[in-house]
Formats: sequence, structure tokens, C-alpha cells
Amino acid sequence: MVYPASTRPAQGLGETPGDDGAPVLLHAQGIVKSYRRRRVLNGVDLTVRSGEVAAIVGSNGAGKSTMLKICAGLASPDRGRVSVRGRLGYCPQDVGVLDFLTPGEHFTLFGAGRGLRPAAASRRGRELARTLDWSVGRRTLAKDLSGGTRQKLNVVLAALGDPDVLLLDEPYQGFDRGSYLDFWKNVWDWREEGKAVVVVTHMLSRLDRVDQVLDLSPRTGTEATL
Amino acid sequence: MSPTFRTLRMAQATLRELTRRRGVLGLLLLVPLVFYLGRHDEPGQAIRFASLGLGFAVSAAALFSSVGGREIEPRLALGGFRPRHLHLGRSLALVGAGLAVSALYALLIALDQDVRHLGAVVLELALTTLVAVPLGLLLGLAVPRDMEGTLLLISVIGAQMVMDPAKDSARALPFWSTREIITYAVDGAGAGSLAPGVAHAAVTAALLMAASCAVQAVRLRRRAHMQFG
Ligand SMILES: Nc1ncnc2c1ncn2[C@@H]1O[C@H](COP(=O)(O)OP(=O)(O)OP(=O)(O)O)[C@@H](O)[C@H]1O
Ligand SMILES: [Mg+2]
Repeated sequence: MVYPASTRPAQGLGETPGDDGAPVLLHAQGIVKSYRRRRVLNGVDLTVRSGEVAAIVGSNGAGKSTMLKICAGLASPDRGRVSVRGRLGYCPQDVGVLDFLTPGEHFTLFGAGRGLRPAAASRRGRELARTLDWSVGRRTLAKDLSGGTRQKLNVVLAALGDPDVLLLDEPYQGFDRGSYLDFWKNVWDWREEGKAVVVVTHMLSRLDRVDQVLDLSPRTGTEATL
Repeated sequence: MSPTFRTLRMAQATLRELTRRRGVLGLLLLVPLVFYLGRHDEPGQAIRFASLGLGFAVSAAALFSSVGGREIEPRLALGGFRPRHLHLGRSLALVGAGLAVSALYALLIALDQDVRHLGAVVLELALTTLVAVPLGLLLGLAVPRDMEGTLLLISVIGAQMVMDPAKDSARALPFWSTREIITYAVDGAGAGSLAPGVAHAAVTAALLMAASCAVQAVRLRRRAHMQFG
């Protein structure tokens, strides 16, 4: 199904009106952001419901990462608001893990934030890793992981606490083809589970299956839909 | 789940990271030793320099730890950690490691030197660690990279070494207590006194701790545009 985001009336969080049915989990409204004098985002809106996948596309420097950070609450916009229902999971574009910890130690640390005991966090992390075709070694430190594997660690950490809203910034960089397909299979599973998923992507071949596309390219205006 | 659970996990992760950076750790541990041996002929000066070297090493470790956590902490805060869990956890790990190192140097001094009040030296080394940790954390929060922080730290320690401790303005320096207590320990009550040194260290450590905690909380605050339903 395709929902033209620009034609949808603004709705409050969690409202379940009419035929759309599912509650809104992420609602960004009128996001404006400039760096020095340069306007990067100019009144961008994004509404994602439970069980929806949104893709953010645009050329390099279009503001995709900036938009995602603002949605995650890691950067402040000059204007605009973001409402979130439920828990957030965020996967940054540049790998931000602790070099001298093993993946397993990352699982227990991040799990603690979500109230998971070490054993449970470790089990859940390994489960998620397996869905990305990664069997977690016990001793390798994060700094010694391959680039693609480190990115898998990042995705697992974002998904670890069973978040309701997942914000993923080009999460599959360096994935091999099999892992890339596994990643999208995960995305469709998360959609089935009723999560709201936002993926920054350049891979246009996948866009036919997402529910909405936010195009931040300056050429085409601030928002377009598929 | 108790709130200390997150703090302890954070402390554990910090301690692991710290102890696995063998190269940096080894070089930092060497600083006080080099300072100590450089003045070995004069007991009072040797202990003074070793203590300031310890202050430098522990502050630098805290600085690197704080700068190194800059990327991960916002993610952890997003994932259920409160700023105070992160700050307290990191501080606990650093204080623990710092006290272990100061115990090592206390042992060295006890075996190698004949000081009047050995207990005061032990206390002074512990207090130096307690001041150094929040000093390093605060520096780490204030500077863009650890290079700038290290240079700033060298200035602070350098000023501490060259400034006349009798001057009132010397009390503005974080490690004033270190010299004051050592003077007491080595030369006896006539030359220095214990209580003002201990008080200075306690106040300095508390102020630095409160300041670094506050800066951390502001850094990781919930942004005004976010609304959670
Ligand atoms: N902290 C910052 N300070 C100054 N300018 C910034 C900052 N962060 C981003 N920018 C600028 O904002 C613009 C958008 O950056 P952003 O990272 O959001 O782009 P992007 O769409 O994610 O690009 P890419 O496809 O390369 O990841 C860029 O021109 C970038 O230089
Ligand atoms: Mg980007």
C-alpha cells in the first residue's frame, strides 16, 4: 500500500481514524534546520504509523542523517516538533560502538538500559545477529570486526530493546548481498510486528515495497511520494 | 530492576575499555614513576612529583575515557540510561582504577622512603585520585578532542609545579592539597598542616564532580522538540 504522506491530514499521536487504522508512532512536523546560514531541512513532515516502513532518500548532503537525528532527539531543530509513541531504537550512519568491548559486552551494556539481565540481553543479541547471518564470536573486540560486521552490531544494538520506532541510517553499508537481503527481511518482520520503521537508503530497487518515501533532494522539493 | 544496575554495568564497561588499552595505560602509569625517579635524591620532592604525575595520569585517563564515550553516550541515553547512570558509572570505574594505582605508588614510597607520616602520604595519593577523576571528566566534556584536553591538562599540572604554594592564588589550582599534605607528611606539622589540605581536596573534588555531572546532564538532556506519548 502506498500512502501519499503529503495528502494525509495531520494527526495526533496514537489516533486511529478512518481506514488507515494503525496508530501513529512517529510524527515529525515542520522540521526546519540550518547549519550556519545554509538551510538543510525546510519544513519537513514525516508521519509513520504502526506497521509502516518509510524510506528517506536524497543525494549526499541532502539532510537525511540530520532529519533522523532530529527524530531520535539527538539534535535540535530550529523549528518543528517530533512526537514519538513507545520506545526508540536508532542506528547511526557512522559506526558508534566501543572499540575495546566485544559484541557480547555491547549486548549486555545496551540491554541494561532496557532493563535486560546480562544473560537475556546476550541471548537476544545473538538471536538478532543470527537473523543477519552473523554468528557472534566470543573474543573479538569491536575494533577488530570487519566493517560490515561492525555495522551489523550497530543494527542489533538498535533493535535490542524491542523498540516500537526504529530509525536506521544507511544501516546496511558494507553488508554482503545475502546479509542485505536478510536485513530487509528483518524490516518486513518488524513491519508485521507493528513497529514503525524509518530507513535512510539509496537502494531504489527496494523502494517499491516500502509504504512511503520521503525525498529530501533539493531538486524535487522537500517531500515527494512514490 | 534497581537503578544501580545500570550504573554498575556502565562502570564495568568503562573498566574493561580502560584496562584493555594496554599501551596507553602503561605509558600513563610510567609518568609518576619517571617524575619520582627524576627527583629521587630529595624525598619530599620525589613524592610531590610522583603525586602530581599520578594526578596527571589519572586525569588523562578520565579525559580519554570521557572523550571516547562521546559517541556512545547519546545512544545509551536513548536506550534507557539516565545521564547520572553514565556519569556515576564512569566515575566509579575511574576512581577504582585510580585508587589501585595510587595504592601501588603508596607501597613504593613506603618501601623506598623514610617519611614522617606515611598515613598522610597514603591519604594524599587517594585524594589526588579523587580530584583527578572529575577534573579529567570535566576537561573531556569541555574540549572538542583529547589532544586539546591533554594540552590543557599539561598546563594545569605545570602551573601546579611551578607556582609557589604559599601564595593565595595557588589555592585556585586543583592539586594544591597534594603539595600541602606532602609538606606535612615529610617535614612535619611545623611546615604544613593536614586539615586545610584535606578540606581543599574534598571541596575541589565535590565541585568538579558536580560540575561534570551537570555538564553531562545538559549534553544528554531531552531536547525540547521531543514529545513522548
Ligand atoms: N554538525 C554539523 N555542522 C555543520 N554542518 C553540518 C553538520 N551536520 C551536517 N551538516 C551539513 O548538513 C548537510 C546535511 O548533512 P547530512 O549528514 O544530514 O546529509 P545526508 O543526507 O545524510 O548525506 P549522506 O547521504 O552523505 O549521508 C550537509 O551539507 C552537511 O555538511
Ligand atoms: Mg547521512
